[in-house]
Amino acid sequence: MDAVEKANAERQRRWTKEAKIGEGTYAVVYRGREVATGRKIAIKKIKVGQFKDGLDMSAIREVKFLRELKHQNVIELLDVFSSKTNLNLVLEFLDTDLELVIKDRSLVFLPADIKAWMAMTFRGLEFCHRNWILHRDLKPNNLLIGADGQLKIADFGLARDFADPGYKMTCQVITRWYRPPELLYGCRYYSTAVDIWSVGCIFAELMLRTPYLPGETDMDQLKTIFRALGTPTEEDWPGHKKLPDYVPIENFPKTPLRDLFTAASSDCLNLLSKCLIYDPRRRISAKDALNHPYFFALPYPSHPSKLPKPAKKDSGGHAALEEVDGNVDFTGSGPGVKANPPNRLKRKLSMEDGGSRSIARRLDFTAKS
Amino acid sequence: MTAAVSTPGASSSTVEKVPLYQGSTQYRHWRFSPEELVHTRVSLNAAAVRVIKDAFEADSLGSSTAVAFLDANEENLLVKLYIGKVSQLCGHFRFPEEVEATAVSYLKRFYLKNTVMDWHPKNVMLTALFLATKTTNHPISLEAYAHHIPKTAPSDVLELEFLVAQSLGFDFAIWHAHKALWGIWLDIQTLPDIRMDELRDAYDVALKHVRESRLTDAELIYTPSQIALTCFSLASPSLASAWVRSKHTPPASPPTPTSPPTPTSPSPIPETDILELIEPIKSMILQYGTMPDVEAVREVDRRLRLCKNPEKIVGSNAYNRKLEAKERKAAEKRARKAALARKAMEEGDPFGDTIGPQDLDDDDDDDDD
Repeated sequence: MDAVEKANAERQRRWTKEAKIGEGTYAVVYRGREVATGRKIAIKKIKVGQFKDGLDMSAIREVKFLRELKHQNVIELLDVFSSKTNLNLVLEFLDTDLELVIKDRSLVFLPADIKAWMAMTFRGLEFCHRNWILHRDLKPNNLLIGADGQLKIADFGLARDFADPGYKMTCQVITRWYRPPELLYGCRYYSTAVDIWSVGCIFAELMLRTPYLPGETDMDQLKTIFRALGTPTEEDWPGHKKLPDYVPIENFPKTPLRDLFTAASSDCLNLLSKCLIYDPRRRISAKDALNHPYFFALPYPSHPSKLPKPAKKDSGGHAALEEVDGNVDFTGSGPGVKANPPNRLKRKLSMEDGGSRSIARRLDFTAKS
Repeated sequence: MTAAVSTPGASSSTVEKVPLYQGSTQYRHWRFSPEELVHTRVSLNAAAVRVIKDAFEADSLGSSTAVAFLDANEENLLVKLYIGKVSQLCGHFRFPEEVEATAVSYLKRFYLKNTVMDWHPKNVMLTALFLATKTTNHPISLEAYAHHIPKTAPSDVLELEFLVAQSLGFDFAIWHAHKALWGIWLDIQTLPDIRMDELRDAYDVALKHVRESRLTDAELIYTPSQIALTCFSLASPSLASAWVRSKHTPPASPPTPTSPPTPTSPSPIPETDILELIEPIKSMILQYGTMPDVEAVREVDRRLRLCKNPEKIVGSNAYNRKLEAKERKAAEKRARKAALARKAMEEGDPFGDTIGPQDLDDDDDDDDD
């Protein structure tokens, strides 16, 4: 065997797969362990053989950037190895994601909790941006949450570096509801501000417990944004009418954020409004956001371990998942109604704890290119 | 050369701040002292010769004695020739500089893990370049790529892609000297009394030197900024030292040659030290930054035909033997798996039991069929 193959085989032996926890078109995700320590990990196996152009771009992006990024608020890529025609990414195992947390109606968020999630998000994002990396797909279910409550930015399948100003980039990035207006207008030269807009949308969603700007189509997205924040004028956003895909949209008035976010502090709304500034050049940076008074005012951010998270379905006894699927949460402290996806293969699911399904979906970076 | 590196596995939050570059895989995995580099190549070559000798002997006893195997320098010479070919090919495709520089780095790194007697650089070069187009976000379809290269089928390029990616340890991100040079070019314009025409000429010459440096080992030993400064200094010693000076003294007080670095200076290394540090890089670029003598390489290539690893030559006895062994192993594995499945069926549950760790661990086929 060649030295390189041998090294690869050695790497492979450091990890075990225990259970398949999700499957997409291009990737299968397993839960497993690090042999030496017993630490839980996730292995995302990408089937490369079927791509006619070899290793596909999203796999390459994910590996390229995660190999370089080590930060407590960015998912850690522990190892990469190949097996036959598959590429295996060994990632730290994370229990749940922010989308599941937001959707779990049994959880109550304190202002300090929201502050903690925002701080962790901005910290991770500031690190990405400091490393000249744009994420380009921030949304609640790409923000994974570990057993200790730490939030980690994941899914770098659409990420790219932006060290070359003046290099044209695609505007077909970021999930619609979290996509900034400049991309919707076809802007091909953009920067870190695109990620900040997404974070602003997530910030609002944490307070509202429902997506803030849920447009139905790309066209409707702009309208949804303007309906919420007012149609931008030339003064708000100089030059936006010259963007490639600019279309005039009816004039919506500006309504103060306070009207919708009635319970938020003024610091909080000030930071939110700075994330949602139309002119990308004036939108706040991740670094400035971290220094915003919001994070220094009372209440201080909750400690990660104290943050609300969906109850572990297998933690409080031996309630079989079949029963949990019957919409009754035996272990949760809340009203006890759970929306579990129906008709999963129960036998397989019974191996895992509930939250890991999110990882499976999360790690499936299929639909994008 | 610099401070100790934090261990890559340490996930605890590091308090001390390290420069971004020191967090890169390039810094952590692909930096060598000149002696280490020689040692790596010599021992790799020795190990390769041993293995190939054995393969010859297994074929017919005593057949290796007459073979003149390549030594490490000869291997390197051949690689260097193909580094030059990358450049030609990139010109043909009009790939950006980043693609070319990345492919060159991949090729060099590949041959720190592999021998040309196993994998001929003319094939590896094509795969490295194709991979570089993807990792630098300039993808081109495999068909279009192979179409423009004589006597090359898409499968020739893809066949080695995994091997190349593996040999690189999946470290796809490269920090380039030409980017660092661009940084110097931008930065130096802020100095007082800079004549732009003089600067522009210097930049053009410096860029030429950066390209020459790609033919050397410089990037495996020095940082991109050290190489860039060297090239700038080769182009214009006065501009280079003016720039270095500006980094070490407060801009307010013009320095005298004897003035020690002030406490406020951004770095403790005085100017003279920096300019001394780049001396060996200068001579390396001037001495080795040219294409190798074609006749000498042709001689190496002629001998390579006789000392290639027979196990890698399609159709040779050794190749067939290895292939048979591989197939036998695969067949055994399939049989074992079928037996397991049969057993599961016989023992009751037609949906199979919960998946056991061993089953997933050493078998990679579970989703491919």
